[in-house]
Amino acid sequence: MLEDPSYNSVVRWSPEGDSFVVLEKFTKTILPKHFKHSNFASFVRQLNKYDFHKVRHNEESGEAPYGRDAWEFKHPEFRADRKDQLDNIRRKAPAPRKPPPTEDAFPASQQIVVLSESLNATNVQIQTLQEQYLELDRTNRLLVAEVLSLQKMLRAQSQASNELISHLNNMEDRRRNSRHSAQSSHSSHSGTNYHQGTLGLLPDGTDEPAPELRRAREILNGVSPDSQADRELERLSMAYHQNGSPAESAGSSVMFTHAGPQTSMNVVHDPFSDPRHLVYPVGQTQGIDPFHADHIHNIPYSRPLSNPNVMTEAPSQISPPPGKEQNGSLWRGKKPQILLVEDDKTCARIGSKFLTNMDCSVETARDGLEAVEKINTDADRFDLVFMDIIMPNLDGVSATAMIRMVTPQIPIIAMTSNIRQEDIQTYFQFGMNDVLAKPFTRDGMVRILKKHLTRMLKDPQSAGVLNDPNDPTSAGNGGGGQQTAGGPGPPTGGYANANMAASMQAAINQAAQVQVKYEQTPIPSPSTTASWHSPGTTMQQVQHQQVQQQQQHASPRLDQGGYMNAVGSGQGVGGMVLTPGGSQRGPGPGQQQQQQYAGYMQAGPGPVTRLPEMGGMGGGAGDDRPEKRQRLYGPGQGGYVG
Amino acid sequence: MLKSDEDSDDEVYFANMPDFGDHVDNAIFSQILEMDESDHERDFSEPLVINFFEQAQDTFEKMDQALASRDLNELSTLGHFLKGSSATLGFNKIRDSCQVVQQYGHKLTVDGVSEPDENVCLKKIAEALQAAKVDTAELEKQMKKFFGAE
Repeated sequence: MLEDPSYNSVVRWSPEGDSFVVLEKFTKTILPKHFKHSNFASFVRQLNKYDFHKVRHNEESGEAPYGRDAWEFKHPEFRADRKDQLDNIRRKAPAPRKPPPTEDAFPASQQIVVLSESLNATNVQIQTLQEQYLELDRTNRLLVAEVLSLQKMLRAQSQASNELISHLNNMEDRRRNSRHSAQSSHSSHSGTNYHQGTLGLLPDGTDEPAPELRRAREILNGVSPDSQADRELERLSMAYHQNGSPAESAGSSVMFTHAGPQTSMNVVHDPFSDPRHLVYPVGQTQGIDPFHADHIHNIPYSRPLSNPNVMTEAPSQISPPPGKEQNGSLWRGKKPQILLVEDDKTCARIGSKFLTNMDCSVETARDGLEAVEKINTDADRFDLVFMDIIMPNLDGVSATAMIRMVTPQIPIIAMTSNIRQEDIQTYFQFGMNDVLAKPFTRDGMVRILKKHLTRMLKDPQSAGVLNDPNDPTSAGNGGGGQQTAGGPGPPTGGYANANMAASMQAAINQAAQVQVKYEQTPIPSPSTTASWHSPGTTMQQVQHQQVQQQQQHASPRLDQGGYMNAVGSGQGVGGMVLTPGGSQRGPGPGQQQQQQYAGYMQAGPGPVTRLPEMGGMGGGAGDDRPEKRQRLYGPGQGGYVG
Repeated sequence: MLKSDEDSDDEVYFANMPDFGDHVDNAIFSQILEMDESDHERDFSEPLVINFFEQAQDTFEKMDQALASRDLNELSTLGHFLKGSSATLGFNKIRDSCQVVQQYGHKLTVDGVSEPDENVCLKKIAEALQAAKVDTAELEKQMKKFFGAE
């Protein structure tokens, strides 16, 4: 193209043949058509990466020889007469930072040149930062994966110890019963416990091998410590100590390429290992465009992921300035942008309609993949995400985990009918902020919006109150709005939304606490467990009780006892040792959400500082529970669970 | 819409709404009707409901196939899928049948207790599917009448 005279008006060799000149026409007409990033600076940046440099014309006259807006570029190997050297022109390794040009050295007429030079330098810096960020990102994934696998192990272990305890307990009971009562009491006893799983006290069960012990052993064997992940983590921390920043050492990139496949072994739910779903596509042209309006707009606010600690600060998306009052709108300024991720057309349409009706702008995505793509395209566009869980291609939990790599702030709300304890715990582990029970109601959505977008509300004080005249507790929540009355409380149908939402909320609170618990005391010791185990009751009863409390007395006919015995006991212990429910009610909604998230990402200050608070809140939280519980008792509400 | 309008709206809709019996959760369904611009042109809810019945028909056919090939996983997925839509519309009977399909597709009873016998599961699913079809047909009739009458 350089050779072709017909393009002379666009680009041509300089007379010396050692540089080429890009003329105004290229900048104005060609570039926007052929290059993804249509601005000239981006093009220059690309050239810089191939070691082409702008030729500066420092003539005293200050007049460029090729006319205004023409740029000359030079590369030592790039010459009109030396095509054989083309191979030597390569993309540079991550560019070292350029020293900023000294501005005093140039006359005023060169200021434009200086500015564009410093712009280029900034671009290089941004690129370097971007690369560092990518490295950090990868490290972060690894750490998260590691934390998750550790948590899994801990859960299994506490479950195992639980089984042991329950076995010992059974032995105790058996002995006591055989001493004090007749055979008949055994039968009736086992009758009542029949539904609650395999722990039943069979009258002739004394000769059977203890199933709990067997199970405990299986669990422990099943989750052998992942030494590879541990080693990886060790290496990682070593690298951190040695280099300060992994991005600065050439070796670190090697390390990370190793890390890739290994992380995939750590966790079952590993959404990161799939290269198709890389959160940040590799390559400059696909990465963030620093010139995109949103990024320029956001420069004063640090990008949260580059420093996890920033998460505890105020959300980076500032509320728009007040002034544009909209009549009847909930919102102060601009409409919230909501991303609704839902594979079912009916649900998506209803959800969109509800949200539009609440004066939000809604975009929908049909599956997790689409959602991740949308967020990756512009991480700051959305204010809140409603995320279905079970979807084709990429489920909501994995999608959330990937979105969290890009934006830790945005509230992500799970929309699901799976409100089992361990489901909810999973949602939170992967960075979701709340759960909206399906089928969602308009009021349920309002509640979520008010709770998580308080800063955008016209009247933040109204959060939770406006919504909920029937709910005596919500008025005192200071905007928490944790509950919804579910509209006019359907008396029929055995499907009360408010009940589900509230019971979930309790479960959610517990889920968050369970995590904290794990971080504090990895394995609930037997003595801790025994502390809430009232004497005289069997383990099954306790566990059943516990299930009921977690579900806030979901209907007793919803018999999850057996299920929980098998799966959830470990989690239950964590939750029960701490005060169930309520403890998150105190802090404002924003803080609460961040704390939950802090629990997810950081093993650091967040949870630690929370613990005493939780203890302190215990009394208050307990106080308002019974009243809630009474309201929660809906006929046959459990039928829909699962 | 202002919040204060809503309670009175609910009253109105409850009063105006025909009785779909135990097929429909009125509270949920009325919320959807509420989204219509006017009571006379139900340009949101009507296509939604019609679309649902198409979707249900489609899903039932797929369920029949999955049942024939004893594909419990697929049945569970399909059950979950239709459960979501029917629940969102407040179509409780259909939802409950779908729940049964989903649960037994996972080899679980409705109460979440393991049911290892595949034949039992398939039988339960077949029953629930049949019930869902009957309920859907019945409800479709009622809905068509409801929307047609307006």
